[in-house]
Amino acid sequence: MLEQDLSDVISLISDIKHKKLFNSYDVALRTEELLEALISKGQWKSARELMALVKMKIKYIAENLPQEATAANIMRHILKVIREEYEAASKLNRKKGEGQSLHQLVTANPNNVLDYSESLINLKSSLLDHLTEYKVELESSTDNIAAQASEHIHMNEIILTVGKSKTVEKFLKSAATKREFSVMVVEGAPFYYGHAMATSLSKNNIQTTIIPDSAVFAMMSRVNKVIIGTHTVLANGGLRAASGVHTVALAAKHYSVPVMVLSHMFKFTPIYVASFDHGNFNICASPADVIPYSTGELLNKIHIINPAFDYVPPELVTLFISHQGGNAPSYVYRLLSELYHQDDYDI
Amino acid sequence: MEGEKVREFFCKIIKEDEDVSVGVAAIRTLMEIIKHSKSETVQELEATLKDGIQVMKSSNYPVAAVNSGCELFLRFITLAVLDTRTFEECKAIMLNRGHIFIKKLDEARGKIVKLAAKFIGDGCKVLTHSRSRVVLQTLRKAHKQTKNFEVFVTISAPDNSGKRMCKDLEAEGIPCTLILDSAVGYIMDQVHFIMVGAECVVESGGIVNKVGNYTMAICAKEMKKPFYVLTESFKFTRLFPLGQQDLPAEYKYTSDVRKSGDLKKVHPLVDYTPPSYITLLFTDIGILTPSAVSDELIKLYL
Repeated sequence: MLEQDLSDVISLISDIKHKKLFNSYDVALRTEELLEALISKGQWKSARELMALVKMKIKYIAENLPQEATAANIMRHILKVIREEYEAASKLNRKKGEGQSLHQLVTANPNNVLDYSESLINLKSSLLDHLTEYKVELESSTDNIAAQASEHIHMNEIILTVGKSKTVEKFLKSAATKREFSVMVVEGAPFYYGHAMATSLSKNNIQTTIIPDSAVFAMMSRVNKVIIGTHTVLANGGLRAASGVHTVALAAKHYSVPVMVLSHMFKFTPIYVASFDHGNFNICASPADVIPYSTGELLNKIHIINPAFDYVPPELVTLFISHQGGNAPSYVYRLLSELYHQDDYDI
Repeated sequence: MEGEKVREFFCKIIKEDEDVSVGVAAIRTLMEIIKHSKSETVQELEATLKDGIQVMKSSNYPVAAVNSGCELFLRFITLAVLDTRTFEECKAIMLNRGHIFIKKLDEARGKIVKLAAKFIGDGCKVLTHSRSRVVLQTLRKAHKQTKNFEVFVTISAPDNSGKRMCKDLEAEGIPCTLILDSAVGYIMDQVHFIMVGAECVVESGGIVNKVGNYTMAICAKEMKKPFYVLTESFKFTRLFPLGQQDLPAEYKYTSDVRKSGDLKKVHPLVDYTPPSYITLLFTDIGILTPSAVSDELIKLYL
């Protein structure tokens, strides 16, 4: 029974590990399909059972892929949707769900708390409607972010970006239709995704320059804005971004250059990372990218670390741009409370 | 209930139960006042409660926590949906809800400890200021989770409460070093993060805590060490100080000292730490960034 319930999650995790699902966006779409299948065909009778199933999946993902926040976040969001739909449906009973705020501390009556165990007829259909809406939102998310580009990029500006991000690419291309500006792309060793990014941008007639990672500080004084994507946005407003982004952010702070982070809503995770949780924060990619195996004997004498991610503290980020608009890092707590229910933060 | 009895009850709770904070003791006293009150209207009851609060503030205990706890309790009384016929029923409802409220407050510390203990890892060096019950419990819990860590505690003049904290920690088997208040800068590069309690949390997200906290926070910011505050949510208060001088005198000095006149030459008991120096607040309503505090307060008072 357990294997049956988790087989969809297991295949999701294996695809992520084998790089068949590379982008956060692909993971998001796949998770959404998984949830659709669960809601329409899964074995659950009440909201509580459904939430228990989803929580089980979130736990499994958190244990096996602690860095993969996208799938877990979308499932957390669905938990909130389920709670909301249930509360809306049982509004007639005037009961309220358990909440966590000062107000709730003072007014909540423990006898009046929902336990989500009633089985409601319309729950399934309303959830599926919601999911369809959510899917549309997901698919149009990148375009909505790109539509804001001309507000942020002005004539003759020099934009700096790091590596390759589909969101940033679309953003810059959308701005290029209305403005003339130039872009500096940091190549991002050892993967050098920056090269592909630069090629793609220059095909759209955007003047692009590739710079090596070491030149970031030197060139930063000429840059007007730094626009980057990220892997995850943490609960304190910090980032888990590609390796090398922290350096760029520090250089930008030194020259007072604004750092704008483009991110979909499913990248916002309610997890706080303790400074001591290094084991779960970062993963290491293959050292062969740094020094190839063909080097031979020398490899016995060196220790090579190739971290995939970087932590960027919230003080270094100026603005988060999502499909709903721009927000300061200090506002992230509010976005999180709108996306997820307080009880689901810590599964 | 007359002033003297209120004072007696209040002081008794604090002296008898080590673990009870001044704020919770104040709220329990208010409950006692409601129980014994002979008033016939809500307004009269409120007036009696307010008198009780004044009495408690004039006993020689720190006022900050008393203030915020009592304000919350009063707010809670006035928020009660009261369309019952008799005042007796009304009082019964208030007492019932008061009990629920106190129960939640008692659970608050446990929730904070659960959240905060995760941030202590093996090989950590923690710096703390003076004596805070919440921090003490968190360190105890982390120790029970078999984590190996070391604690530095400031002596915290003038009442040297840091010494008591150190003794309590050593009784648990947690390695603890007592340092001078002036040695905070010296020790700062060796520690990994700072954990302190708070007397109250103000609307800007800053905290009011034992004097010396502000200095520690500035040092921490300079050396880029995380500064964590562990506090219960009933300590949130609608104060918005812009600087040290904006703190009310009743917070800074005990009532005896205030009566004696010239405050310029007296040492304050507390200082204000602005939100820009605080990394995260661990509360029973979750982990909050300082900017989330005013949101919570608005939700309550609006």
